[in-house]
Amino acid sequence: MTMFLELRALCKRYGRAIAVDHLDLAVGKGEFVCILGPSGCGKTTTIGMVGGFVAPTLGRILLDGEDVTGLPPNVRPTCTVFQNYALFPHMNVLKNVVYGLRFRNVTGKQALRAGEAMLDMMGLSGLGDRRVTDLSGGEQQRVALARALVLKPKVLLLDEPLSNLDARLRFTLRKEIRDLQMRLGITMLYVTHDQEEALGLADRMVVMNAGRIEQIGAPEEVYARPATPFVARFLGRANLLCGEDGRLLLVRPEDMLLSRQVGRYRGTVAHRQFSGPLTTYFVEVGLPHPLEADMLSNSDERYGVGEAVYVDWRRDLSLSDG
Amino acid sequence: MAGTVRQVNAENTPGGAVRRAAPFFLSPEGLFYGLLMASVLVFVLWPIAAVFLQSVVIEGRLSLAEYVHLFSNEAGLLWNSVSVSALTTVLSLGLATGVALYLTHTRLPGKRLVFGVLMLSIIAPPFVSSLVYIMLFGRRGLITHQLLGLNIDPYGWQGVALMQTAGFTALAALLILGVLHRVDRRLEHAAHDLGASSPRVLLGVTLPLAAPGLLVAAVVVFIRALSDFGTPIIIGGRFTALATQAYLNVVGLFNMPRAAAMSIILLLPALAAFLLYRRILGKTDVLGAAPVLEHARDRIGLSPGTQWLLAMITWGFIGFELVKYATILCGAFTRTWGVDFTPTLGHLQALTADRLGSFFRSLHYSFAAGAVGALLGGIIAYVLVRKRPPGGKALDFIADLPYIIPGPFFGIAYILAFHNPPLALTGTAFIVVANCVYRQLPISIKAGMAALAQCRPETEAGARDLGARERQVIVDIVAPLMKPALLIAFINTFTSTMITIGAIIFLISPDTKVLTVDMFAEIKRGRIGEAAVLANVIIVSVLAVNLLFSWLYLRRSKT
Repeated sequence: MTMFLELRALCKRYGRAIAVDHLDLAVGKGEFVCILGPSGCGKTTTIGMVGGFVAPTLGRILLDGEDVTGLPPNVRPTCTVFQNYALFPHMNVLKNVVYGLRFRNVTGKQALRAGEAMLDMMGLSGLGDRRVTDLSGGEQQRVALARALVLKPKVLLLDEPLSNLDARLRFTLRKEIRDLQMRLGITMLYVTHDQEEALGLADRMVVMNAGRIEQIGAPEEVYARPATPFVARFLGRANLLCGEDGRLLLVRPEDMLLSRQVGRYRGTVAHRQFSGPLTTYFVEVGLPHPLEADMLSNSDERYGVGEAVYVDWRRDLSLSDG
Repeated sequence: MAGTVRQVNAENTPGGAVRRAAPFFLSPEGLFYGLLMASVLVFVLWPIAAVFLQSVVIEGRLSLAEYVHLFSNEAGLLWNSVSVSALTTVLSLGLATGVALYLTHTRLPGKRLVFGVLMLSIIAPPFVSSLVYIMLFGRRGLITHQLLGLNIDPYGWQGVALMQTAGFTALAALLILGVLHRVDRRLEHAAHDLGASSPRVLLGVTLPLAAPGLLVAAVVVFIRALSDFGTPIIIGGRFTALATQAYLNVVGLFNMPRAAAMSIILLLPALAAFLLYRRILGKTDVLGAAPVLEHARDRIGLSPGTQWLLAMITWGFIGFELVKYATILCGAFTRTWGVDFTPTLGHLQALTADRLGSFFRSLHYSFAAGAVGALLGGIIAYVLVRKRPPGGKALDFIADLPYIIPGPFFGIAYILAFHNPPLALTGTAFIVVANCVYRQLPISIKAGMAALAQCRPETEAGARDLGARERQVIVDIVAPLMKPALLIAFINTFTSTMITIGAIIFLISPDTKVLTVDMFAEIKRGRIGEAAVLANVIIVSVLAVNLLFSWLYLRRSKT
């Protein structure tokens, strides 16, 4: 895979505060990369630098073999889908979608045709003359995507595009975005603080903290083998245990086993939380925190609150430091 | 789903709503409200009606003769007024937009200075621009005659349009500034990202989104230009306008029906603009999402050409304003401007006992009008927003009218409305103060409403729930909440009373003379030095009071 987008030693300082600290990242053509991190970790600043809104203090950005570090957003071959969509309230849906085509060598007629086609593709047929303020959140999101995609950007940047939608819609749109990306083969850089989004969407994910990259890798790999305690704790839930030789062990709740007969720890069920497919048991074993164990809700074994159980696990990971 | 939602809403009816046990108008607060309503009817609606009646009832008979005369014989006057006001509006709006964009959309230096000069300009008395125009470009003007050796006649419509532009640009810029600040920068970034160059972002996204503000600024400037009678008198030469003729018909010819008819004609475009303005302000969602200040998402960078253009507009205007104040200051200490430029303190003799009397009267009236206006505006705002009395919308509409009523109209209206018993008030200090209070009432009410909008009615309901009586709610919750609004209303009414002339020039008698009227008389007599001294006295005193109260306001908001 050729490296299509490269960020080299990218830094951004605001006065004394360092928002992004020597960030290196390479994205392949057609790859879907998610940047995940808590708020204030520098992910939005990073995507802002790629889009051309934020001037890097240091470092370079290369796109398709070309240095684009100094290019202003209007001539940079990237497009951004903003968190609040940033649709123009004084234009209708179609005018929003074809807005960017005005600045390309496209005739008005061609632009309208391309816009209509894009609306069809996004499942927005017939909404062209609606006011954008009359659309639902999901529709607005699709218009924002259409407006960016119609320009065929080399890289599509998405800044927390689903954070204003409800959970069900988020789930549907997540799939739509992924389908779209596969179909068009477009390179995407996607910023989110929602780990489910990052895990579910990305070819590779980048976990950021305090302006630095903590780990890069495929979602499965990062989840199963977090490189740092920060990643372990930030991504998913984790039980932290002390191993026999004093090492710190990380065990995911879904790797826990409960039994009435045998196990490494013995304790009592302090609390039980049903969440549909899974039921989480909180087992008090004399450690500072109760252990969390996820069991399939439809399994035959059920434990009542106050019942004595044994706790064991099938997989653990030792962390270098606590 | 919908059913549950409705049910929940029904359980949580806003606690601020009043439980009306007795009919509203019979409760003490209802009676009080009735009194306020009556005062607005008497001091706003009745004067307007009086002008209308005067214009159509001539010698006891219904007649449209005055209007027929106006449209058949004075069509040129109408054209003069409308065309010059339109030109002033276009020029002011162009300059003001440039200055406002400089402040919001560039990272160029000197913004504090620009903002300070704008603030100074809106508290400077009227006709200062015209006075300076005579001093710099007049027959014996410093620039045209002394420096360039020209002997030109600068009096005419061109000068009127230019000086009105100079006078109104600062206000327009501040109005536009308020809206530009609220334009969502994310939309600008999106347009820029989609390929629009920075000038196209400004023209295609920023300014259309700021259109309500631009329109409001245009309306305000147009109305002010239309109702400005002084500038044409001072520098118009043979050019004259409708407002000027209305003024002369009152003070010189005593032809009240004609003055009334002219005032009504002046009112029509203002009224049309006003209806438009209220419709626009009703649709605030035009402005899109609320702005979020993100440090990573500053305003887009403007192209060098755009920055140069904005800088030239801004510093051209600010430069002129600075020259203006410098000229006024020098004029007060120059023996005979245009002839003998030796420095002197002689003009300070203009501050005779009579003038000092006018000065203290100005201060006195302004403090009174400020205090009364602030209280009245605050109370009306509270009643309208929280009590929602029947007829509240109509009251709000009527109380809003003075904002767009041309100054001369409001002055003439008060003469006509209050010269007969039982409301024979002409010649009293009361009528001058009342005129200023009701003229600024729209702003006083708006300030109060804005303060109340920031606080949910649940706060007051909470106090009531905890056992506070109505009086305690007012004292403990409402009054502290509205203090900033009252301060704003006070400063605004005080300042406008100190510098106003358009309306009250019709209402003053020798016993109630104020300093702006003295200054206008001195300019008309061509006594530049004396006029400059009075202008400086007004500027300094208004500035001092404004600074003092701004300081009080800022100190309060910090704690």
